[in-house]
Amino acid sequence: MKKNNTALAQGLIRCHDCGCLNKIFSETNCSRCDSHLHQRLPYSFQRTLALLLSGFALYIPANLFPIMTVTQLGIGEPHTILGGIVALIHSDMLPIAMLVLVASILVPLLKLLGLSLLLLCVYFRWQVNAKRWTQMYRIISFVGRWSMLDIFMISILVSLVNLGGVAQVIAGSAATAFAAVVVLTMFAAKSFDPRLIWDAQDEA
Amino acid sequence: MKTSNYLACPECDLLLHRTFPVAGEKVHCPRCNYLLHNPRANSIARTFSLSLTGLFLLFPANLLPIVGIKVLGNSHDGTLLSGSVTLFNEGMWGVAILVFLSSILFPVLNIVLALLISGHLYFNRANRYLSFWLRALKHIEEWAMLEVYLLGIIVACVKLAAMAELKFGLGLTAFVLLLLVTVMLSGSFDSTLFWQRIEQLNSHEKK
Repeated sequence: MKKNNTALAQGLIRCHDCGCLNKIFSETNCSRCDSHLHQRLPYSFQRTLALLLSGFALYIPANLFPIMTVTQLGIGEPHTILGGIVALIHSDMLPIAMLVLVASILVPLLKLLGLSLLLLCVYFRWQVNAKRWTQMYRIISFVGRWSMLDIFMISILVSLVNLGGVAQVIAGSAATAFAAVVVLTMFAAKSFDPRLIWDAQDEA
Repeated sequence: MKTSNYLACPECDLLLHRTFPVAGEKVHCPRCNYLLHNPRANSIARTFSLSLTGLFLLFPANLLPIVGIKVLGNSHDGTLLSGSVTLFNEGMWGVAILVFLSSILFPVLNIVLALLISGHLYFNRANRYLSFWLRALKHIEEWAMLEVYLLGIIVACVKLAAMAELKFGLGLTAFVLLLLVTVMLSGSFDSTLFWQRIEQLNSHEKK
């Protein structure tokens, strides 16, 4: 069945920036805000895939390398993201440990997996409940920013606990990798066009 | 077919007849449930006053110390900026830049652009940069992460509470207020209305 209820099927393009409808082929820039017009986000699939693969690659060093070193009176050793969570559990701060676990490990992982599923769905034209998959995309875009929690926490600890031999926190190399994972997955979510899910459905 | 009578859902591209909902009436896409319209009463005046409040709060929030610690007689205060400065000096410039952008530069730009746009619309002044500013604001918004930073402060403080004595500065109060203003600002902002008004102002100017 031919879908003719979409703007594109009616020969209209929605401007990404201001939402104004423009007739296809008449203009290359939006008549209202002058931004470039595209039927769908340009190279959405390829860009999302590239960003996602980089995200997966950096997720490994982000979890293997130490994210920070806490020294108190000269004693201390570097620990990883997971090590930090274990240390929090040992010092009876379970709620905070859960928060860090969700924000630093589960959210980035579920984001990477969720976006992969969305790409597979578009590529193989899976016939799915598009409304529910769009909902999943919205959740992925919304939660991404909260993974910055660990990065902000490190930045605060590093600047505050800077008392030379008494106590010191030093950021580790995993911090850069982890920050890159967060930024890459945010860009990946931004470059994915949810309209592709709907385009892949044979009947709407 | 007059395109201004129609609108398309940004997330599923369904073509719909344009409706004109009143303030407080939410309109969702019938196919994918995307929130299409969420008009607010006095959107422009509210955005203008909130961004003006935000502008004043930017100074104490960015300049005054947020949290300080005291360990064995050594005390140390931290501002919003000191985190990125320390990271930068340690050679972690990537993380430092990211923290600087998402906790300082983008929140500041967010407030300044909202003030510029709503100020022009409030006083009915046309400006050829208006649509550029609004486009920039829509892209920046996502990268301003004050609310995540506040959660970061809370987690850091809980971690530190065991090893050091904490003191909370006036900067923290200003920061929390700035965060509230920013959240209210994004709630008061009605993009559909703003784009319509910019179009009216600029077309009026051209005549």
